[in-house]
Amino acid sequence: MLVIIEKYSSMLLGALGKTILLTLLSLIFAMVVGMIFALMNVGKNRFFNCIGTIYVDAVRGVPLIVLAYFIFFGVPQGIKSLGFQDFRLTALQAGTIALAMNCGAYMAEIIRAGIESVDKGQMEASRSLGLSYGKSMRKVVLPQAIRTMIPSIINQFIITLKDTSILSVIGFPELTNIGKTISGNTFKSLQTWAIVGVMYMVVIITLSRIAKRIERRMNRGR
Amino acid sequence: MADKKIKVHVENLKKSFGKLEVLKDISMDIQEGEVVVLLGPSGSGKSTFLRCLNQLETATAGTIVVDGADVTDKHTDINKVRENIGMVFQHFNLFPHKTVLGNIMLAPVELKKMTKEQATETGMSLLKRVGMETKADTYPSQISGGQKQRVAIARALAMNPDIMLFDEPTSALDPEMVGEVLAVMKKLAADGMTMVVVTHEIGFAREVADRIVFMDAGYIVEQGTPEEVIDHPKEERTIDFLNKVL
Repeated sequence: MLVIIEKYSSMLLGALGKTILLTLLSLIFAMVVGMIFALMNVGKNRFFNCIGTIYVDAVRGVPLIVLAYFIFFGVPQGIKSLGFQDFRLTALQAGTIALAMNCGAYMAEIIRAGIESVDKGQMEASRSLGLSYGKSMRKVVLPQAIRTMIPSIINQFIITLKDTSILSVIGFPELTNIGKTISGNTFKSLQTWAIVGVMYMVVIITLSRIAKRIERRMNRGR
Repeated sequence: MADKKIKVHVENLKKSFGKLEVLKDISMDIQEGEVVVLLGPSGSGKSTFLRCLNQLETATAGTIVVDGADVTDKHTDINKVRENIGMVFQHFNLFPHKTVLGNIMLAPVELKKMTKEQATETGMSLLKRVGMETKADTYPSQISGGQKQRVAIARALAMNPDIMLFDEPTSALDPEMVGEVLAVMKKLAADGMTMVVVTHEIGFAREVADRIVFMDAGYIVEQGTPEEVIDHPKEERTIDFLNKVL
């Protein structure tokens, strides 16, 4: 075990960095995607409702690994066949897109549920004062919705962090992929995967501790 | 009253929820400074009528003109019209994430009608008017129902509206808190505010209303001064209703 840590520590830490980078990038885009589709779903416009539902159902209905293959191998092939010969997607780009799409669909549902948990009277009171729908959403409904959403969002963050390991299949050098390499080189599967597991665990436990603290602080303001 | 302006003009208003027709052909004029109290059994359409006036419910048919603006016209900027119509709700609907003063300041500041300093000043004077100035920095969860409703009235007044709508403002209150809210409303009426009030407080109606409108099953059954409608009702349904509540 010590041998592996000694010899591969910088590689492992680098890979962990890549994992965190991929997670953060995906989360940022997922928040945007989730917010857009959530707002489509809570509005009264039938057309947007329909798009929102199709997106959420489609993405949640496809395993992440299939989505990753589709975006990494399928989409570039399709675009090339349209005549763009130079089109390429790096593993990081494809991975970020796949994760952001996947996480975004779940995020959309979390945000939708959060918005719907706010009493209808809040929107009415705000509209009755002359505020537009958008302003009422931003200033009155969303600040209240976020409080109820936080535990679910953090849960989703953790799931997304773990899902990055799935992207080892498209060759992105994140922690699980590097784990494969190391165990292949050293033939010490037990030690390698124990170390990789602990590394994930430390990050995730730290994250959920921080999350608990934020949650507690937000609830105190009430 | 002949020289007074007509503030609200309602013509052949109809409102349906799906197949259920809640308002069946309502026409009414409300004059500047008039206090109109809507009475009637639950389900008679009083609240729906009130909510149509500021288009929280869109009318199915008919015309509603508030201060010269046709709110049933899709091209009317409804947000602009609503600035001029304050509304007070049965369940207060204060914003829980804002302080008492923050609740009042939100609309004037967001709609760029006042600077923060002006809004603070206006907010404090409104709170004084409803007797809540000492609670400016507390959150809605920390005050009583009667206090919440007084803050809600102050919030509705923040945009300096010409018309105030009250949707059963005392129905969710403990009995001992009804008086303080009605007192604020009486003061408002005495100051000449145009008011439309849905309430079950017959005593308040008798004392403050210029006109009582009795509604049942989506129609106006009878209307007139409190003396005419409460003390000498002509219609059987009015008599029936008053017998039950008095």
